[in-house]
Amino acid sequence: MSNQISFTFNGVTVQCEEGQSIAAAVINSGTLALRKTRFGEEPRSIFCGIGICFDCVVVVDGVANQRSCLITAKADMNIESGS
Amino acid sequence: MSDYGEGRYEYREWLMIIVIGAGPAGLAAAEAASRNGSEVALIDSASRLGGQYWRHRSQVSGYRSNRADLLFAKVRGAASITYISEATVWSIEREGELIRVNYLQGGSESSLTAEKLILATGAYDRSLPFPGWDQPGSMTPGAAQALLKGHGVLAGQSVVVAGTGPFLLPVATGLAEAGASVIGLYEAHSPMRWLLSPQALLLNVSKFAELIYYAGLIRKHRITPRFGRVVSRFDKGQVTISGVNSEFSLKKPSRTIEVDVVAVGWGFSPDLTLGGIAGCKERVDIDGTTVFAVDAQQLSSQKNIWIAGEATGIGGADLSLLEGEIAGLAASGQGISSQLRMARYRKQVFADALKRSYSVKDGWRSWAEKSTVVCRCEEVSLGEIEESVVELGAEDSRTAKLFTRAGMGLCQGRVCSRNVSEIVAGLTKCAVTDEERIASSNRPIAAPIALGLLGDGKK
Repeated sequence: MSNQISFTFNGVTVQCEEGQSIAAAVINSGTLALRKTRFGEEPRSIFCGIGICFDCVVVVDGVANQRSCLITAKADMNIESGS
Repeated sequence: MSDYGEGRYEYREWLMIIVIGAGPAGLAAAEAASRNGSEVALIDSASRLGGQYWRHRSQVSGYRSNRADLLFAKVRGAASITYISEATVWSIEREGELIRVNYLQGGSESSLTAEKLILATGAYDRSLPFPGWDQPGSMTPGAAQALLKGHGVLAGQSVVVAGTGPFLLPVATGLAEAGASVIGLYEAHSPMRWLLSPQALLLNVSKFAELIYYAGLIRKHRITPRFGRVVSRFDKGQVTISGVNSEFSLKKPSRTIEVDVVAVGWGFSPDLTLGGIAGCKERVDIDGTTVFAVDAQQLSSQKNIWIAGEATGIGGADLSLLEGEIAGLAASGQGISSQLRMARYRKQVFADALKRSYSVKDGWRSWAEKSTVVCRCEEVSLGEIEESVVELGAEDSRTAKLFTRAGMGLCQGRVCSRNVSEIVAGLTKCAVTDEERIASSNRPIAAPIALGLLGDGKK
């Protein structure tokens, strides 16, 4: 049931269970901050957890503004915090 | 059609009803409508049934969850229901006598048409700004619960759960059951406020069983709920707890404790986006929340559009199930029994008592500092909003928003617009009008969509 997969987050390999969201996988790996804000460059992490607030957005395989709390992590995804 | 999530869409020549949202209200609506064989499409943005309330990995756990399993089995087993998951509805339009629902699935656009529509779009945690609420580690109780129940992840080893309302109990006990150290459980109000609504408890005696269930868990994990206290600051793992009076003004002194995560929530905001796009009439509920106006059959102001669950007034899963069932029966032309109406009435009385007991008081406006971010998306501080009113002469939240961009980011003001309205009203010494509450709840497009997809094809 719980197959392990891995993807990269800002160049670092993250292991997770198949089916977990990107945000859940990154937070479980010990990294809370998912991105920095555009103006203040303040760290942000998951906030609403259900796709409402857009605070956890990351770049998924080159596509920006993807909500990491909603998107299921897939093997070999390349995730970046973006700018 | 390729597969996204649990749902397996089967093509239908003709659909009677589209139900948007597969939480308690939407599931109950789809199930009720399928009883007379009405062809139903159930659309949801998540990968599995249950919505935000029944989220689960393998099997559902928690208080009275067998209800969920029973309903899931009925919906999955009904031949007349087709279920589409991981589909985000971004607009609704009329097409002659039919209603067209446009959705995104796996990055491409699709649509469905039906005669009738039932909206069961649910709600999300309401948040209030305080210094540090934007730092990693500060999240809504819903987020902490979603990480845990949806993904098996604890957001941190030590947690403070705070805010107001009964939802704090399942979150705190759920985190403790999963091994987190729940350092504090802080309810801003006094429990004595229930004395405001004795009839609500008398009509809903079963609620005592629920309370006893959570009291047992609280005792087991040695959590001490404290009342009249709020999280007033969070800074890099240090949380400040302050006493508040009955109007939520901070009282000195306060104390600071070390913690990984603060989960703070102030009740719920309904998701009004889709009904707003469809032109459904809104009203302001007794707690100041904008919700949809519906009649006794859950019919909205728009022909052939029914609305059920939190979007018609925050009331919890029990009420959502009953409203969903009534909407499903009404939309499919089946009768609604007086027992069902009476059951809904009792839950509505309870829901109104919750709104009275756990209402958010204006004192919260004094928690934020000038540098505190109010609009998280556009990083607009309280100081900037104050400046737009005091220096630039903004007299309402719409003008303040144009000056500051508060509420104009990716979330389209879902998190901050009500707070901005109330901050501006506080500065101008005015009350927020119902018109302003309703106007600030409306958004033209439900989900961010690439312009390329909009231009793609059909119209």
